[in-house]
Amino acid sequence: MTWVDRLVRAFTNPLILKDGISRMRTWRAPFVITLYLGLLGLFSYTIFVLATLGDRQAGSAQVGGIVFAALALIQLSLVSLFAPALAAGAITGERERRTFDMLLVSRVSPAGIVWGKLVASVAFMLLLILAALPLFAAVFLFGGIDFGQFLATQLLTVTTAISLGATSLFISAVFGRTLTSTVVAYGIAFFAMVGTLIIGELLSIAINLRSGGTGGNDVHPLLFVNPFYAMYQLLEQPNGAPMHLGRLFQLLFLAGGSPAQIGPLVEPWVATVLLQIVITALALFGAVQLIQGWRPVVRPTSEPEAEPSPGGEAP
Amino acid sequence: MIEVRGLRKRYGRQVALESVDFEVPRGEIFGFIGPNGAGKTTTIRILATLVTADAGSASIGEISVADDPQGVRRLIGYMPDFFGVYDRLTAQEYLEFYAACHDVPRHRRARVARELLDLVDLADRSEAQVDTLSRGMKQRLCLARTLVHDPQVLLLDEPASGLDPRARYEMRELIKELRRMGKTILVSSHILPELEELCTWVGFIDRGRMVEVGPVEDVRNRVLTGRRLRVELVDDDEVKLLSARDRIADRKGVIAVEVVEGALEVAVEEGFPDQELLAELISAGVAVRSFAPITGDLSEAFLRLTAVPEQR
Repeated sequence: MTWVDRLVRAFTNPLILKDGISRMRTWRAPFVITLYLGLLGLFSYTIFVLATLGDRQAGSAQVGGIVFAALALIQLSLVSLFAPALAAGAITGERERRTFDMLLVSRVSPAGIVWGKLVASVAFMLLLILAALPLFAAVFLFGGIDFGQFLATQLLTVTTAISLGATSLFISAVFGRTLTSTVVAYGIAFFAMVGTLIIGELLSIAINLRSGGTGGNDVHPLLFVNPFYAMYQLLEQPNGAPMHLGRLFQLLFLAGGSPAQIGPLVEPWVATVLLQIVITALALFGAVQLIQGWRPVVRPTSEPEAEPSPGGEAP
Repeated sequence: MIEVRGLRKRYGRQVALESVDFEVPRGEIFGFIGPNGAGKTTTIRILATLVTADAGSASIGEISVADDPQGVRRLIGYMPDFFGVYDRLTAQEYLEFYAACHDVPRHRRARVARELLDLVDLADRSEAQVDTLSRGMKQRLCLARTLVHDPQVLLLDEPASGLDPRARYEMRELIKELRRMGKTILVSSHILPELEELCTWVGFIDRGRMVEVGPVEDVRNRVLTGRRLRVELVDDDEVKLLSARDRIADRKGVIAVEVVEGALEVAVEEGFPDQELLAELISAGVAVRSFAPITGDLSEAFLRLTAVPEQR
């Protein structure tokens, strides 16, 4: 099979179409799109009004920059909010519906199942991101926005959606019930968005205290796990704030001393994107392994005793 | 076509399969019979490549289930005992989805789905959403799903459970039709009458062990040794029944006599002269309404084989 065949096969995975049809046939799909765009538009308009309110003499380009930054951050927040909900029930849903065995005995491989489920859940988030593009286009009218910066914010939003989707999918393979996997997926997403920010800031303070203020405003690399930090950096420092890879490892272990000038220069948001790609790969690999073993790590408690029920091997 | 040798499986301390051996020739309907928890589902799930056996071997079409599960999946259609359906898909889309999952070429999927809906008599419900179908229709649709890739072997785990008599009858007829199409079918059930007229081969499993396997007639003959006669009197007064029982009980060749539901059931040795017993009863003035041998059935064979020792 050539790589073209593999690519075609990957995107004609039957689960993508099936889940897409099932999702788009409910009233929830248009409701979520409307809610998403409504919230995004409402927040953006509020920011616009606040930026031009009273005696502020902000120029058009400045207003554009403020509204764009707000729009990018709000979009990231909404994507982070929707991603676990869309992916955390992907595998548990098949188990609860008792359709998982029928997938396993088909020709779709465990990797195919995981891939299909990921694309099906991320596709809806990509639809939301695409649907918001006209809002961004309107903000461009004000000026003051670099197109490269715009592309970077969108890329960061997409990779955040994919990594959260992949992590939630892994959680879905670990647990037997959608409710449990959704709660855990939201817990992990909350830690990634808020926990890393708090711990990262505390570690950054520790680094700066240890260096006695000679290292400037060093940040601990844990903050690079946080897409909001990356987005903030991207919006605040459009010309970039690159760091040597050696310095990044130096900070990771809270090492003091003069900044190491070793390794390639890495932008914080690029480090975040790379990290998200690694997390995505690990989560997908883990989910495939779990499905290959055909047993959720944490099984539902109401399974029959005498013989195993569909969806898992051991009672 | 299906061969199982020395299959063992444990779940923790619980033994699901102790020793399971059987084979199913090509084109037969194999009734896999046993009470709940006997090990039917575990055996079928091992054959369906969903569970790994601790010991022993299983193969379908000479392909080992453990060594080449993908190869086995090409040969089998599996219908689990409990299954769900995808809501918001029509019956046609449901079958097309599974056809895609089984690598049926894109241009053939719609036709395959239509033909299968026709086979299971759901052609008129092709555009109905699957979750709106009745239980019997869902069972038939699930059976159609097992056929999307035209497998040679069907593993059907309790396919008629929870169905009303009409739906059971339709399911039975459908399975017979599939046999006529050349499929080898393993069908499990704990309801014997359901399999009685359907199967050509049977295997009894009890507490993880196969207790009897073979063609239905052979199993009947092997298990149901001896014969029984049912004698009904014109007057089913208990005193007369007991009097007749005492008269018969001491006769040579009679193993046992008991009163069952207002009639006498007489267990006799092979070669016992039935006509002499009838003549003797009549000459003794016993008014006999009917006198006929009782045909042994699978239920009886199963009960005899799986009875705990003190009941035998």
